[in-house]
Amino acid sequence: MTDQQVLVKALPAEPPPIARPAAGRRPRFDRQRIAMLLFIAPAALLYALMMIVPSLQSIQLSLTNWDGISPTFQYVGLRNYEDILTADRFWNAVKNTLILGLGSALIVNVIALAVAMMLDKLHHAQGFFRTIVYLPALVSGFIAATIWKYVLNYNFGAVNSTLKSLGLDAQTRDWLGDHDIVIGVLLFIICFTLGGNTTLIYLANLQSVPQELVEAARIDGASRAQVFRYVTWPMLAGAVTVNMTLMMIAGWTIFDQIMVLTLGGPGFVSETMAFFIYKVGFGEYRAGYGSAAAVVLFVVVMATTVIANRYMRSREIQA
Amino acid sequence: MTVTKQGRAGERRRLTPGEVVVMAVLAILVLAVSFPVLYALLNSFRGYADITKDPMGLPTSIDFGNYVTLFQTTEYGEALLNTLIITAGTLVILMALVPMAAYGIERVGGRTGRWIYLLFIAGLMIPFQVRMIPLVTSMNEIGLYSTLPSVMLVHFGGSAAFGVLLYCSFIKSVPREIEEAANMDGAGRLRTFWSIVFPMLLPVTSAFVIIQALGLWNDFFIPLVFLDASSAGTINVALSRMSGLMASQWELIYTGAIVATVPSVILFAAFQRYFIKGMSIGAVKG
Repeated sequence: MTDQQVLVKALPAEPPPIARPAAGRRPRFDRQRIAMLLFIAPAALLYALMMIVPSLQSIQLSLTNWDGISPTFQYVGLRNYEDILTADRFWNAVKNTLILGLGSALIVNVIALAVAMMLDKLHHAQGFFRTIVYLPALVSGFIAATIWKYVLNYNFGAVNSTLKSLGLDAQTRDWLGDHDIVIGVLLFIICFTLGGNTTLIYLANLQSVPQELVEAARIDGASRAQVFRYVTWPMLAGAVTVNMTLMMIAGWTIFDQIMVLTLGGPGFVSETMAFFIYKVGFGEYRAGYGSAAAVVLFVVVMATTVIANRYMRSREIQA
Repeated sequence: MTVTKQGRAGERRRLTPGEVVVMAVLAILVLAVSFPVLYALLNSFRGYADITKDPMGLPTSIDFGNYVTLFQTTEYGEALLNTLIITAGTLVILMALVPMAAYGIERVGGRTGRWIYLLFIAGLMIPFQVRMIPLVTSMNEIGLYSTLPSVMLVHFGGSAAFGVLLYCSFIKSVPREIEEAANMDGAGRLRTFWSIVFPMLLPVTSAFVIIQALGLWNDFFIPLVFLDASSAGTINVALSRMSGLMASQWELIYTGAIVATVPSVILFAAFQRYFIKGMSIGAVKG
């Protein structure tokens, strides 16, 4: 999803573009200003229709019992929210979203940082290695999941067949149909990456760490671990903030892998919040209920963004 | 990894053993992570019977039969075309509207400009799921449901937010004097923008277009929701339907996965420089 990259820029929380206060002159509705507002109008209109209006409609729908197809519906107050917050199925989706979203954010960030540090150590063919490290990221999550679905097939999949041919029949599993392990398998598939963009962001930041600082620390007798802990790591604080937040936001809306690999099953065991909303809204004709879940998801995403930024920003300042 | 022990200065020329180790580790990691695609690639040259009988076997010959079958017996060709139209169409709408709007926001400035900016940026925190259900209803009402334009328009909503953010931060550094001079020479504002300002935005434009192109090409959720069976769908939607209906044609699924990935690789190969620069533009500042 492209929305992820978005936050790379959003997070620095630069003060919004306050226009230069035109040299003391009060902004008038002169022709220049009107022309500029007309420049904004088409994009703003389309954006409002595609983003703001439907989001507000969702809030409205969340207060109804609409099924998604009938011409009429009734307002039911906050009942949908009550139903959601007391439903085990919803909390299970929240739990899965946390495990998969937060878990993959942490794991992928560790992988990406490790890979970036290895790349940073290279003085020969760094460009080449940076390219090949990025290549796996060109395969979309959807495509990767589709391939895994067949590789993990119980009867004819490569994994179980290989285990059988190695005489490890006892280790074969119904990888995507066993409710004890399915979340673990999903987490593995989501984390089966070298980080792609995350790695590039870490690498760019590692390369901006002043080399003099590292050398000075080394001369003062710091070990490699100490240099990392006290020099490199603090310098990476900004990149960690950006990457963790990006991955968490993406994590809250994990959908493709679930849709492809398990359809939320077995039963409802592997549903995530995004999948839950889709399933309830379109598969079960409970548009009002689904909208309420969507509003909850929005609140969670917004809260995560704000809190994560505030927490990690405070860490940056100390560092 | 005892690579940079002696500091970097003298190391440029000589390949240290540590570096070789790092290179080997990276190469192994890349191979490991590429396993699903490599596996699909190898199996796209094999038949169904071979794949299921011996899943880890290698193809005996490079036979493009599956590729031919995929395009002849399924709607995959049409889906590929749809994906291309959606990606290109969305990019055209974005290019036509977003840079101009960002320029307007920066030049209007003041409280008004700031509020408009924040309104756009708010979209970054609104997951697609939040606007999904009402959008389907509206698209149905205006007769656009299950058409390619509906997918492009919905994509525009999410991408515009990112675009405004990216362009606004860049336009701040574009000097006003040039436009003012052009205005004085009698060029209209629209012409000034497209012939003078827009070319100066090329670095952002290249980064934005590439990031978006890849994202649009790979997207699954939005076309899944907005294209029903009356359309061939996009490559991902078509693959998803195939793996549901044609559970027995594994070789075509693997082939389709490879066909879907090739354009991304070509795009990356052609614009690699911009890719990496684009990723770093926003990132280094932190």
